[in-house]
Amino acid sequence: MLHPVVFVGAFTLLGLLFALQEWVSLHSWNSHITITFRLLIAAWCVHYFLLGTICWVLWRLFGHHVQKATLFHMATRILPLSLAVSVFEEMIWVAIFPGRPIGLPHMSYWQRLAFHLDSDIVDSLVIFWAVFFLLRGIGYYQLYRETVLAAVQLETQFANAQLRALRMQLNPHFLFNTMNSISSLMQTDIAAADKMLEQLSSLLRITLERGDVQLIPLSDEMEFIEMYLAMQDRRFTGRVRQEVSVEPDLYDALVPAMILQPVIENAYTHGLSKLEKDGLIAIDVRRNNETLAISVINSGLGLHPQNSNGAGRHGVGLTNVKDRLHLHYGNSQAFTIEELANGKVRVVLSLPLQFSERPTRQLTGYGV
Amino acid sequence: MIHTVIADDEVLARQKLRQLLRNEPEIDVVGEGATASETIDLVRATKPQLLFLDIQMPGMDGFDIATELCSSNLTPKPHIIFTTAHDQYALRAFEIHAMDYLLKPFTQERLSSAVDRARKEILLSSQQPAGNGAPGQSGSHYTTRIVFKSRGRIVFLPVSDIRWISAEENYVRICTQNETHLLRETMARLEEKLDPDMFLRVHRSSIVNLQHVKEVRTEADGEYAVVLVNGEKLTMSRGYRSRINGWLTHS
Repeated sequence: MLHPVVFVGAFTLLGLLFALQEWVSLHSWNSHITITFRLLIAAWCVHYFLLGTICWVLWRLFGHHVQKATLFHMATRILPLSLAVSVFEEMIWVAIFPGRPIGLPHMSYWQRLAFHLDSDIVDSLVIFWAVFFLLRGIGYYQLYRETVLAAVQLETQFANAQLRALRMQLNPHFLFNTMNSISSLMQTDIAAADKMLEQLSSLLRITLERGDVQLIPLSDEMEFIEMYLAMQDRRFTGRVRQEVSVEPDLYDALVPAMILQPVIENAYTHGLSKLEKDGLIAIDVRRNNETLAISVINSGLGLHPQNSNGAGRHGVGLTNVKDRLHLHYGNSQAFTIEELANGKVRVVLSLPLQFSERPTRQLTGYGV
Repeated sequence: MIHTVIADDEVLARQKLRQLLRNEPEIDVVGEGATASETIDLVRATKPQLLFLDIQMPGMDGFDIATELCSSNLTPKPHIIFTTAHDQYALRAFEIHAMDYLLKPFTQERLSSAVDRARKEILLSSQQPAGNGAPGQSGSHYTTRIVFKSRGRIVFLPVSDIRWISAEENYVRICTQNETHLLRETMARLEEKLDPDMFLRVHRSSIVNLQHVKEVRTEADGEYAVVLVNGEKLTMSRGYRSRINGWLTHS
């Protein structure tokens, strides 16, 4: 907001300019009147300093009315106020400078006041109203700024809510599939069911611990993926070879949490599960200049043209991945899915390379 | 036999632990406690060597029980393995010298590794009659075990289980017999925590556990390699060769 020193200072500066004007005018047209330049400056500066101070005090006391005043209020309250302020200020000023007006015979206080009011009242009124409308303008500008800010915040909140909703859809999908596997294993292999339940608990623990955090270090995402791959390996018992390669300097790069799991789940459901043996899933994370490229290649039956019925082709999982990438990175990301030779399918996620400002503190302790 | 007490307020949790412990040799469950006071009385009466302790129980929590048992003049003090669904107490458990920290649900395999470690420790403390049974009384200032989270589990890893450690930028990869763990840590900091009589830096980016080294070999290209007992091979830089030579002539 306006600082009082700036506010009153501007008024005083205005007074200085008027003083200069009068001095020039006296020199050019009324050279018979002698007055020191210093007294002239003092008179004008004090005049406007007083006006400025009164306006400032009024504004501090009744500032909230500036914004709300209707035309009716302006006519019935602010107009009388402006007159009162002008007269009041003039009264103080006349009392301070008994030597004015210059070059006229001696007058009483009231005579001098009348003389000065006659010459200054319009100036004072103009200045008062100029300040009034300036403050009103500043108020409107602030209101406008606040509205814009609120709109931006609302937009961010909405995007975050959307992201949360999308993340929530990922977990149950995978959760129920796994519970189904456990349920099935319970009939045949109790130890394996137990193991899977432990792995699922670990996965859930990690997911819950992350809470609402949207961007996490790649190392955390890959830890999750390794656990997920271990679970899939148990289900596919040796039918699928898994290869994971990550450039070590990318472990601290930020990626959206749980962005890879649906891609890998998709590779298993639509590709690897159709193969009887020698399946391969290869995850590769590398840096391309300022881009982080995550590629997932899986063997399978390629992209079936007969399955392609628009958006639902890869299920809700991949659509979610696309939407989340878009919400996070706008147009600076890319999601591609393509068929390679021998029925292999490659999905590539390209996102801007970002690193967390402070590395996450993980629990580590040393001792005896 | 190792006398063991199970403390957990949930009957199904006690039942599962009892069943899994039946498969563990030398473990003899001598009692079960469902509350804090019951557990303390039971431990005083039966003087077990091993105590499976839940953290959240009615009355006092697992740490209160541990403190109560430690402050009493009970001998031998039981080795404690915490079993809990919460991972946030792991560091505290580590600091009070708990043997291990099992996150529920756990598997037979995970339980076995905890029990094996306890068995070794109990054997060791029974061979040292002067010791009061509490672990961690050795004078060395080097770390003998590390606690960290890996793949949603809490790991209390004795450094003797580490085979080798490799640097991956801001991270280190710790390799044990069956697993590897990625930790956000620097080689320099880790090296300084580890006993130099046991671990040797053989490369800018690798540290090896000397107990697992089989030989040092000169490769066809003139480079040196450290070969581990299990056949794994680590390259060694020239600058570090003199160090391992020193160790080889020593032993």
